[in-house]
Amino acid sequence: MFNLKLVTPNKTIVHDVPADEVFVPAHRGELNILPGHMPLVTTLTPGILKYRLEGQDELKKVAISWGYCEVNPFGVTVLADTAEAKEEIDKARCEQAMKTAQDMLSKDELSTEELEMYQRKLKRAEVRLELVD
Amino acid sequence: MPSLKDIRSRIASTKNTQKITSAMKLVSAAKLRKAQHNIVALRPYAQSILTLIADISSTQKVDHPLLLQNHSEPKNVLLVVISSDRGLCGAFNSNVSKDSWKYYQEFSQKCENLDIIFIGKKAEEYFKRRGVEGVDSIHNMAKDISYQMAEEISERVIKEFTEGQYDEIRFIFNEFISAISINSVTERLLPVDIEDKCSFDQQEDTAARFPRDLAFEPAAEEILDDLLQKHFAVQVYRCLSESVAAEHGSRMTSMENATKNAGEMINGLTLTYNKLRQAAITKEIIEITSGAEAL
Repeated sequence: MFNLKLVTPNKTIVHDVPADEVFVPAHRGELNILPGHMPLVTTLTPGILKYRLEGQDELKKVAISWGYCEVNPFGVTVLADTAEAKEEIDKARCEQAMKTAQDMLSKDELSTEELEMYQRKLKRAEVRLELVD
Repeated sequence: MPSLKDIRSRIASTKNTQKITSAMKLVSAAKLRKAQHNIVALRPYAQSILTLIADISSTQKVDHPLLLQNHSEPKNVLLVVISSDRGLCGAFNSNVSKDSWKYYQEFSQKCENLDIIFIGKKAEEYFKRRGVEGVDSIHNMAKDISYQMAEEISERVIKEFTEGQYDEIRFIFNEFISAISINSVTERLLPVDIEDKCSFDQQEDTAARFPRDLAFEPAAEEILDDLLQKHFAVQVYRCLSESVAAEHGSRMTSMENATKNAGEMINGLTLTYNKLRQAAITKEIIEITSGAEAL
């Protein structure tokens, strides 16, 4: 068991709640953090974060975009830019966003920054849709 | 002695004013609720990010230009004064203007260079009247403040800071305590002071338990750099949110007072009006009866 903290600038999802297990979409692929994990600081990529609170079987899922994760002996802290549960996601809007991003990416005359921006948007939309389905 | 007609029109105009002030109060109350929610939601995030920075830099001994290194007196200071674009909000603007003016007078001699950026019109006007111009000003934040806006401001300020133009960035703004209580505060946002901000106590033995060999993905310097920029942007956003909430709170209270005062004034005027009316009626009756007696 360890203390889990999951915060975004807009809301606090869990604050120092005992948890048994957490999966984070880390910089180099998904990390499964169990109690006693080695201390670590990593950046996060858009993906689905899963956590199981102490004594519960249910694995809760939230779609997160960019963020940070710190693991230390006192607990796990996740600082995400956004974090949405399944119920908060508007499926139609995600599909729309995904389509716009795909359309934009199929064009040729994109600057490097634009290309990165739309790739990020596409990835975010994909992650959200993955969680909804 | 005002005539009956004068009093009637004064009552009517006071009633109109009262309607406006009570509508403004309702609008501010609604905006305040939103702004308040924003701040409360932001606080844990802002705190966690600072703890993370402190953890990394104190265990890894990484230095960063944005972190506080020595405690020498700053020479080039950038002051950011947050006020509002609109008035009618009680002591909100005069509070922050007076405090920043005091600060300005005290430190303009001590420092080699003291520049000011104004966010919101009111403080800028206050300084202009006293013959002081800022290096820049940002208006039109009345609609809504966004994280994006805070990011733009912070990027610009960080750039000037890292280029060595300034060695201290200070924010003066109204801190939101409750709807009836606001407080003007001065905060140094850059360089970042991380003393006593770690998730462990450095003096006690818990520090020994805290691992010095954190694993980093990607490198510690890179993460720290990102985190510090993010931290500053979040802090700027927090200052803006605090100020906006304080503005609405302050406006709500002052409009409530105005509505109450208008009510009292209407009562007083109505009383005078009735007295005058009765006096006029009595006078007329006397005139009629004495006229009848004379016949």
